[in-house]
This record gives sequence, C-alpha cells and structure tokens, in this order.
Amino acid sequence: MSKITKQEIERILENPVSRRSFLGGLLATGALVVLPGCRLLRPGTVDMGQVWEGGYQTFRNACSRNCYDTCSIVSYVKNGVLKFVEGAPESSFTAGGLCVKGNSYVRRVYSPDRIKYPMEQQGRGTGKWKRLSWDEAMDKIARKILEIKARDGSLLGLALSKYSGSFGITHYGVEGMMSSLGYTTRLVGTPCWPAGMDAQNFDMGNMLCNDPEDLPLARYVIVWGANPAWCSVHSMKFLYAAQEAGAKLVVVDPVFTQTAAKADEYVQVRTGEDGALALGMCRHILDRGLYDKEWVAAHSIGFDEFAAYLREHVTIDWAAQKSGVPASHIAAIAEEFAQARPATIWIGYGMQRHVNGGASVRILDALVAMTGNIGKPGGGARYAQMQTWGFNYHAKNQKQPEGSKGWIGASGPKGEFDFSGVKENVKYADRTININKTAQEILDTKDPQVRMLWVACKNILSQDFDRPKMLKAFNKLEMVVVADQFFNQTVEQADIVLPVTTFFEEWNINASYWHYWLSLNEQAVKPLHEAKSDIEIAAALSKRMNELAPGSCTFPTTVDTKDWTAQEFNKKELDLFGISSWEELRKGPVKAKLTSSAPWSDGVFATPSKKYEFHSDLCAKNGHDALVMYKEGRPAYDKLRLLTPHSKFAINSQFQNLDWMADFNSEPYVYIHPRTAALRGIGHGDAVRVFNKVGEVRLAAQLTADVPPDTLLMYEGWYKGLAFNCQNLVDDVSSDMGSFKTGAPGVAIHDQFADVVRA
Amino acid sequence: MKKQLGFYVDAKRCIGCFACAMACKNQYHQASGVVWRQVYPLKEEVYPHHERAFYSLSCNHCEHPACMEVCPAAAYTKREQDGVVVHHQEKCIGCANCVRSCPYGAPRFNPGTERAEKCNLCWQRLDAGLDPACVKSCPTNALRLINLATFNEPNAVQFPPGFPHMSRLNPSTRFRQAELPKIIKPEDK
Amino acid sequence: MIPSMELPLVFFTLLSQLAIGLTLLYALRTAGPSVQPEASAKTQWFVSAGILAFSLIVSLTHLGHPLLAPRAVLNLSTAWLSWEILIFILLFALMAATAYLGVTRRFVWLTAATGFIALFVQGMVYSPSSFPAIHNVLPFAFFLVTAVILGASTSAWFAPQDTQPLLRWILVGALSAGLLLFLVAPCVWLSGGTVMRLTGLAYLASPLYWAHIVLGLAVPMAVVVVSRRIPSWLPILLLAGALCGRVVFYLDTIHTGVNIGGLQ
Repeated sequence: MSKITKQEIERILENPVSRRSFLGGLLATGALVVLPGCRLLRPGTVDMGQVWEGGYQTFRNACSRNCYDTCSIVSYVKNGVLKFVEGAPESSFTAGGLCVKGNSYVRRVYSPDRIKYPMEQQGRGTGKWKRLSWDEAMDKIARKILEIKARDGSLLGLALSKYSGSFGITHYGVEGMMSSLGYTTRLVGTPCWPAGMDAQNFDMGNMLCNDPEDLPLARYVIVWGANPAWCSVHSMKFLYAAQEAGAKLVVVDPVFTQTAAKADEYVQVRTGEDGALALGMCRHILDRGLYDKEWVAAHSIGFDEFAAYLREHVTIDWAAQKSGVPASHIAAIAEEFAQARPATIWIGYGMQRHVNGGASVRILDALVAMTGNIGKPGGGARYAQMQTWGFNYHAKNQKQPEGSKGWIGASGPKGEFDFSGVKENVKYADRTININKTAQEILDTKDPQVRMLWVACKNILSQDFDRPKMLKAFNKLEMVVVADQFFNQTVEQADIVLPVTTFFEEWNINASYWHYWLSLNEQAVKPLHEAKSDIEIAAALSKRMNELAPGSCTFPTTVDTKDWTAQEFNKKELDLFGISSWEELRKGPVKAKLTSSAPWSDGVFATPSKKYEFHSDLCAKNGHDALVMYKEGRPAYDKLRLLTPHSKFAINSQFQNLDWMADFNSEPYVYIHPRTAALRGIGHGDAVRVFNKVGEVRLAAQLTADVPPDTLLMYEGWYKGLAFNCQNLVDDVSSDMGSFKTGAPGVAIHDQFADVVRA
Repeated sequence: MKKQLGFYVDAKRCIGCFACAMACKNQYHQASGVVWRQVYPLKEEVYPHHERAFYSLSCNHCEHPACMEVCPAAAYTKREQDGVVVHHQEKCIGCANCVRSCPYGAPRFNPGTERAEKCNLCWQRLDAGLDPACVKSCPTNALRLINLATFNEPNAVQFPPGFPHMSRLNPSTRFRQAELPKIIKPEDK
Repeated sequence: MIPSMELPLVFFTLLSQLAIGLTLLYALRTAGPSVQPEASAKTQWFVSAGILAFSLIVSLTHLGHPLLAPRAVLNLSTAWLSWEILIFILLFALMAATAYLGVTRRFVWLTAATGFIALFVQGMVYSPSSFPAIHNVLPFAFFLVTAVILGASTSAWFAPQDTQPLLRWILVGALSAGLLLFLVAPCVWLSGGTVMRLTGLAYLASPLYWAHIVLGLAVPMAVVVVSRRIPSWLPILLLAGALCGRVVFYLDTIHTGVNIGGLQ
C-alpha cells in the first residue's frame, strides 16, 4: 500500500492556479468577461519554438567542460543562428548523442541572462551594474594594474584564480596574459584530482589510463568511488557491453548511486575507508597466493616489503571493521577480482577527496598491480590521462616584460597543465599560493598582499571552500575582475565583469582526460552581444596597457582565435592522432593511434626504477610513506558526515541556472537516511537547516535509505536566484597528496561533517 | 499488422540522465515550463530506491489516442504510413481538452501560444530518414524507436508497474523493466 | 497537466446547468394535463435563454483562440465536446424559440428533454479516463443534482404560490441526493486505486469542498425544512456553494499523470 503523505497532496495542489486559468478566471468573473480579446493583456513572451527543417550549415564543436566525456559536437546553424546540436557520429565515444547539459547548449548561447557587455558594479553585492565600453573597462583595469606595479614594484599584488570552467586550450591564454604583464600571484593546484595524480605518478611514473572503449574486454570491473551514470554517461555503454560479455560489475561507494543500481553488485563502504577495504582484499589475495607472482617479480619493486606489511598490519577482520564490509564478502570479491582475466578498477576522483586520498589511490593501484592487471587491455587502474594534451600551449607561454620583478626562489608547477617542469635557479618567478585555500591565502598573503584578483574559467564564490571565509577574504581585495557568461555568485561580488564567448563563438581545440579522441572546435556563430574570448580580452588589455605604459604588456594586441588554435599543434601531437594537419579535424573528431589500449603494456614504467613501485622513494621525498600503506581518515568534528558530490544536471556551477534545466530539476535537497531523520523529527519534504563550524544551509530534505545512516548528502551547484551554496558547510582541509604534480595539495571535499535540524 | 512506430523504453539500461528530455528541448525550443518528454522516476513502491529507475515518456502514439478522440476541432491526425499521432497547431483552438483527457499527460498547454502541443515523434526528421532527436541522443541506447509490426523482444511489456494501464487506448510504447543489484551493506548494529 | 480552477468552465457549467434546471423545473411544475402556462412564463424562458447564452460566451474565455471557436464542432464522429457545443447551441435555440414563439407544452418538453440529454453529454465530456475518480457516471450525477438544486431554488422567484410546495419537495430531495452524493463519493474514492484515493483525500482536505457541503447543501436544506419556504436569498447562497463545489471538481480531481512511476 502506498503512503500518501500530506506533503504529497500539498505538492500536487501547490500550483492550483495556472497563469492562464487565473487570468481567465478573473476575466470570466470581471466586467471584461465579454471581451475575449482582453486575454492579450497577458504578460510574457510568446515562444514559437522551431521544427526540424533541413538545409542547415554544420560545424564541428567540442564541449569544453571539465568532464570525462569531452563530447564531439555537430552544430546546426541557419542564417547565422545556432539551431540545435547533436553528438558527432564519428566518435565511437560520443556516438552521436550529448548529455542533458550538452543538449541545453543552445539555450545557454542565447540565454537572456547572458552578460552582454562589460559592466561595473557600483558597490560589490549591490546588483547595481553600470555598463562600460570595452575601452573604459580595459582602461580601468590597466590603470589599476599599473598602480599596483608602481606601489609594490612588482605585480605580485595581482592574482589569478582560474581552473576548469573552459578547457579549450587557448583559454590558457589567461595564464599567458598574466605572464605577459609580469610576475604575478597564481592560485595553483586543483580541487579535482591531485591526490590520485600524485599517487599514480609515485606508483607508475605517470598518470595514464586504459582507453575506456576497451572496458568490454574486462571480466571484472570495480567502479570505486565514481558515478559514471551521472558524470560520464557515455562510458556506461562500455560498462554494459562488459556485463553483456560476461563481466561482473561491482560498485564500491558509501552511497547507492545510479551506477550502483546498474551494477551486478553494490558494496557499501564506509566513507574514507576505501584503503582499508582494498588492503583487506590484498591481504586475502596474498594469503591465497592468487597474485601474479611473475608480473610482480619482473615489473615491480617493493612487493616483499608490501607483503610483509600486509601480514603484520592487515587482516580481513580489521578491514571489515574499518570499512563496514563483511569479512566474508571482502574475501569473496578479492578472490573474484584476482581470478578474473583481466580485472580493472575505475578509481573515482570522489574516492580521493579525502585526507588519505592519495594513500587510498596507491592501495587501489597496488591491488590492480599485484594481480597482474596493469598494462592489460580491459585491465588497468583507470584514473585519467593527459597523454593526448601534448599541445604547444602557445597561448600560455608568453614572456614577462623586460625588467619585471617577482617572487624570488624556485617555483613549483603551476597546476597540472604546467608541463614546463620545476624551475630551479630562476631569478624571478610567479608567487604561487594554494588554490584550494584561496580564502585563507588571500587573508594571509603579504608583502605584498593580494590586491587585485582576476577570475576566469572559475566560479570562486559558488565552488571554493569555506564560503564565509571567502567573503571575508574578498573584503581585502581592491579590485575584482571576473570574465564570465552569467551573473553568478562570483560576479555578484565583482567590481568589473567582462562578457566571454561560449565555445560556439570562437575557435579552439579540445582533448579529453579519459578517452583518446581529439575534437576541433570551429566557430559556429558570431560572438553574441559584445562577448570576447579570453585571448581577445588579453589582447584588448595589452593594447590599453601599452598605450598607457609602452612595453608594460607583451601579449599581442590583436589575436584571431582560429589562428591561435592552429598554433597549438605540433608534429608530436599530430602524429599521435595520425593526421598531417589540424585541418583534417574539420571533417570530424579523430582518435589517437595507440599501440595498445592499455598503457604500460610493455611493463616499462616511468618511475626512477623503471618499475612499478610499491615502495617509492619519490613518494617519501614528497613527505609521505614510501611504502603503499593504510593512512587514517579525518576524525569527525560533528555528528554526521557530509558528502557534496556532483549533480547529473550540472557541471559544478554551470547549466543548472538555465531555465531549460530548471524544467527538469528545480531545487536542491539534502538526502537523509529515514532513521537519522526520524531521530530528529524530520519528515520527507521538510525544510531543514544543515549546519557546522563553517556555516549553514537551509533547504528541503528528502529521505532515502540510499545514503548511510551517518551521512548527509547534498549535490553541489548553483541555482539561479537561490542563496543555496553547500560551500557554506565545506572547509578547506587538505588531502594528503597533490603538491608533487600540481603545486599544492588537494582538498578533502568529502571529509566534512555537519548536523541537521528541522528549520 | 500495419506499421506502427513507438518508443522502446529500456528501464534496465536507462540511467535517468535526461539527455532525451533535453534533446527534445534542443530540437524544438519549447517555451519554459513546456516539456514534451519527461523522465519519470519510479516511486519506491515500484523500484525500491529513491529515484534510481525511470520511464522516459513523451507521447505513446496510441492506436486509439485519447487526444484525437476528444479534440473538438479535429486538430489531431494519425499518420497512415507509420501511426504517428500529429497535432496541427493551426487547427488548435486551445480548449485544452486533450491536455485534460490524455491519461499520460502527453499534450501540454503552451501559455504563450495558447495552444496544446506534444511530441510528434519528430515526423519531419523521420521523413528525412533521421532518428527522433531523443532516440539519437540517448547515451546508453535505452530509448529506441520501434515498429510494433516487426518488434520482437520477448521481455518487453506494454503496461509495467508505474505506467497507467489504459488498454482501450492501446499505447505503442513498450518497456523492459529495471533490475536490482545484489546489495552488500554493513550488518545493522 | 497542471491543476487549475478552470474558472471559465466552472461558470459555463454552473450557469448552463442553472438554465437547464430552470427549464426542467418549469416542465415538472406544469406537467399536469390541465395546467396552464404560468403568467411569467415568457420572462422565465427569456431569462433561461439569456443565462444559457451568457454561459456559452463565458465558455469562450476558456479557449486559447476564441475566434476559432466554430472549429469546435468539427469532430462529431468521436468527440463528446463537439456534441456538447452542438447540443447547447440547439438548446439555446429551443429556449429562445420557446420564449419567443409561446411557451407551449410541446416546446417545453422538447427543450427539457434536450436539456437533460445535454447534461448527459456534458457529463461524458468531463469524465475521461485520465481522472479515475470521475471516469464514471459521477460527473453526470453531479451536474444533474446541481441543475435541479439551482433550477428549483431559482424557479421559486418566478413560480406561482401553488407550485412552491412542489418546488420545496424537489429542492429538499435534490439537496438530500446532493449531500449523499458529495459526501459518499470521496469516501468511496478512499478505497480505490492511488489516484482515486488522492482525489478523495484532496476533496476532504479542501475548505472549498466543505464550504459546498455546509453552505451549499446542508444549511440550505435546514433552512427550507425548518422555514418551510424557499427564501428569495437562498438561490444566491446555493450558487455560491455550488461555485465552491465546482472549483473543487476541476481543481482537486487528480489526474493520472500525477502518479506515473507509482503503483496504480
């Protein structure tokens, strides 16, 4: 028998009066009843929509979002207007279809909410925006930059916060713009994947993953702390193909995700105890002698040490007690995994957003390695790859003006896309501060302090951690310039906003960090309103800078996005994809010519020893344990755990703000286990307050046993017009690893705690 | 049997990603609030998890469509060649009787044009040899276009739980039901 | 489908049912073999015709494109709604003819019969399978009871003294039937399928529903029984109550679309 709650009835009746019938009713009862024509007094625009007509001009585009799938797009244009989009049929990964976000692109391009021209806010947070011409905007910005230079003798007071809002390669021209002005302060690191990246680099010497299209070759797949059904929908067909070919799909996750619902088996693991579970499996595999003795002997170092560690410190019972997974089951999946040929683990980025994230990835890597699954098609410790990103980074590599002064001392990598290598013995460098502690760094940094912040391809106030602290940090900033498309929560606190193009309005080139396709991004329509690409903004700024102070900026004063896209290609990259010219990409996306779908197939690693390193001295040099081993998680500082993973309706703070998306998903919720809710008198649909030492969030609750009883779950993102922001609950505690490859440790986004009460 | 096109909704493969729903918006640019294809989560009494199984539904292109039957202005026709039920905007007087009468809620009222509208199975695309927009976009091939005259899927059902059972209308949509994994959770203390 | 008060339909159905009720009650009052047309017969029939005409004009405001209204009779082969338009236009013609040409017995009974059939057709229009609670004879029953209640009470304004007791009996009878119908139906719905049950709960939780029951049925019945007359203000209260009840009919009758994904 179904439960019909009061809330359900209220929800059904909550919109009893459609605008049409209300006005109709008013008219029916009023004096105007005999004049049907008065219905034309109705407000609002009439949307006539469109139908498929044929005769379109098509263009090649590439989704530039931070997403595994990085889809190849075909755009259909008529009379210079983008009509609709589809996935490119040539890519066997995109396979002709986009996701819910990709399919909303037309609305994004023509959204009435798009920022049309440069604007200056008359007081941060007031919403009083004054239109500026580009000349006026560039003038104000240039003068501020010159003022900082005069005051401090350097541009270290100018900081850049940029990440993955757009991955079209020429957007690294923003970093280039900063370099072309002088030595500046850079927020470096990444909130996304650095702990795992470091871990894979310590273990194997590089972060490389099997071609996801080889998943059907697997006989056992563990999707561990990842949710491709929401975050990599195009990968699902390969997982299904594996199942249809007889593979067993196991999902390990604290939450019963959408991917878990499609698995053969779902294993609920205690948040942050993935390492313990995997170690339990390793120990059992060792005991039963089911590991690949030949492979381990020939291609690894430190296994004996690891085996000794397992025997001394790990038992299945210990693993069961830590992870919450019954011991008998740990033994069962361990045996199944070890005996499948091949077996693979998809290591999720969520899995490593913990204080022990890097350590956990090393353990998962070890599990795959000891069972002989590294270097096998259908096998592998799949995390990510940047092999297909071998561009010139021409847009990025600009020179500082003569005589620029900056930070003295060695400079580490400026994020994971800095392939320039660690520079020792350089006279001046950019000052680097941790992007994952942006608020604290702005507050603490001195000599000089951060005076001016340029934000591009990032939405700090929606996505960065400890929002209350961030608002305090913004008070220290003298000028905030944001390049963006919508009046989001960062723009709300900006002084000047500059409208940027969508990728349909510029040329670019995109690779994926998961699959092996390369997609050209042609300009399909002219830039809307007064929008400019990031490199065009840099050119405009350079022009004004040099007018005010000749030689103060080396960035070219005119750019062409097509030309700059072409300049990103080199022979090595073209050879990888088996093409002789980038123009061939105009016919469609192209896949890398891999000798094997599996990296490390020759058993030669990029580590100092050239072997897989269960014991890594490099890891120890970076401040961690040399041997792969268990690391404790973060102790709880509040009653319940808080998880804030990704929504399927958005890429971080993008797309949810569109009205088309609101048609399918209109408000955020916190998901609570029914027992936990009952203890607090919270019913399904009730308004609640989630709170902790950082701040609080008010929203409605939904009850489900798909979250563990000790956990609150809410999806991060930005809803237009709502104050909702889960960063009011997330602090900026670091994950263990990340500094080695990205210049700063990652952030333990999923090691947060909170409590909840009825509001 | 005459050619009758319809949708095959494979709830086993469907991940509820809404790509199909948005692909329709992408193709037709319906007004805000007007949705031709909705992805309905199955309630926990049907699939025992919160919003983890779905039926993606637009119009069922029934054999005896309620909309066509009740429309006073004869604004609906059913195509001879493939059974697609088409709504003709120019004939519509905006009485919304179809909106009220379709048990599946397929026709939607557009407050801007003051007319009903619904999924027309992308007949313009069909006539050009293309797949419907939603079918083309589905990343898992969970939504397919089928011809009931030749469709032969032994596990397919017409009225799975959660789908209103209206035999008289004889909807052309067919379903495969979602499945459940084995679930390993900590023993409750 | 977004639930809506559908006020144009509320007024159209109520006012047309009032007009039909007036003709039905006139026919019943003047049923005896030797009964003469009433003194104010012509006026009454013009009033009925006028109310019906007004209700049809109000119904136009329901349409997105009122100027295309003539298209509404194009689907007589399958659409009850096309028949509804046709029969109401015919009904208006008959009422007007009866008023204009003389209130003869033949015209009276022809019009009354047509009115009765019109109620049936109207009932069929508003009982599609998409509303499980009313996919049955209930809409017709609701409409018939409403027509008699409004017709009997409003007739009392015009009817001669000697027919008032008959009107009172009919009114009390109809109010009793109405109370039974409107109280029992939601209760029966509670033991039906999901959507039917939701409808029952929605009705019983609605203040407008109770306003209809109390002010539109129970109190009027008490007034008529105790005072043994139909006060001249009673039709106003009855219309107000009926209005509440009709809004509930359109707003709170739950559509199957609400439960897609749930057990039927």
